[in-house]
This record gives sequence, C-alpha cells and structure tokens, in this order.
Amino acid sequence: MKLGKVIGRVTLSVATPGLEGARWLLVSPFSRGNYLDSMAGEKQLSAEPTPVVYDNLGGGVHDIIGYIEGREAASPFVTPPPIDAINAALIDKFFYTPSESE
Amino acid sequence: MQLCRVEGTVISTRKHPSFNGWRFLICQPLDCDGRADGIPVVALDSLGAGIHQKVVVTSDGLAARRAVGDDLSPARMMTIAIVDEAEKEISRSEGATTA
Repeated sequence: MKLGKVIGRVTLSVATPGLEGARWLLVSPFSRGNYLDSMAGEKQLSAEPTPVVYDNLGGGVHDIIGYIEGREAASPFVTPPPIDAINAALIDKFFYTPSESE
Repeated sequence: MQLCRVEGTVISTRKHPSFNGWRFLICQPLDCDGRADGIPVVALDSLGAGIHQKVVVTSDGLAARRAVGDDLSPARMMTIAIVDEAEKEISRSEGATTA
C-alpha cells in the first residue's frame, strides 16, 4: 500500500462497462519528503504521475489515503473491473521516525 | 521481495474490512549498502517487527490475501521476515570491477 494525498476528483462521462457510477480520486503520491514534511505540516505536490484511484471508502480532497496498485486493486470485486489502483484505507495518522544511522 | 527498514506506523480506522486487526508498518526500501532507497511503502505486519528493524517485504497479493483470510481483499505488501543480519559479500567497488 502506498500513501498519497487526495488533490481532486474525476467524473467519467463515458466508461467501460462495470465502471459506471464509480468514484475516482486524483492522488498525489507521497515521496520520501512528503513523509517527513507532513510531520512538519508543509505540503507540496509530488512530481510523480498522478494516479486516478477507485474509491468506495469516501475519501475527500486533502485526505491522506492508502492506495494499492497492481492486479490486487481489482480483487475486491466479484467480476474484476479493469482498474489498477484502489483506495484501501483512509489514513487517520501516521508516525514516521526515520533512523539516519546505518 | 524487498529488504526494508521499519520507519513508522500508520493508523487507519476506515479501511477495507479485511485489514481489521492488522498493523500497518511504514517500510523504507534499502539499497545494497543499507541506505534508504526509494519511496517508503506501507506493509501489513503480523510478525511484530519493531521500529528501525530490518524486514523482508513481499508484494505477492496471493499470499497476502491468504494471510488476511479474505479472497476479495486488496492486500498486497506484507512483511514476511524479520532480518537478523544481512551480510553483503561483494562491496560496491569490488562488484563493479568483476561485473
């Protein structure tokens, strides 16, 4: 699971069958800096590509979510849809204490 | 699988039901010299790995789904071992000359 900050939402007009009415979040993936900076409250968008994440937990903008990428993203469905990123957890809090020692 | 160092924990109450009761650990992948390399990932943990301990993290969803006991779970990253010691036989410079 990777952490990311929700920066927007996506509404689909035409979608492949099985994806209608789904909720999609635009997520800025956490870089290592985000883990550290978020502790200090200063936030900046990551330079990485912005994934569109399927969401059924109700993540909103400014939330920090845990999303899972890859084939496992389609496993919580009886008939797996063609998605590869799903919101698996709304993060309440995280504690990040990197050890700079070897 | 990836050698990582545990560098944090994650608290989440609203999540996929199959994760209830599982610890989330922030694992920082390490390079061959044990330094941080890449972006931390959050892995499910049942081994009780402590902070700054080295663990081996797998991204095999099938094993993770079996571990959480739910075939419809999106579980993927999971700690499968706590590392006592990871010796490296070939040092970076020596490795470069032979390769």
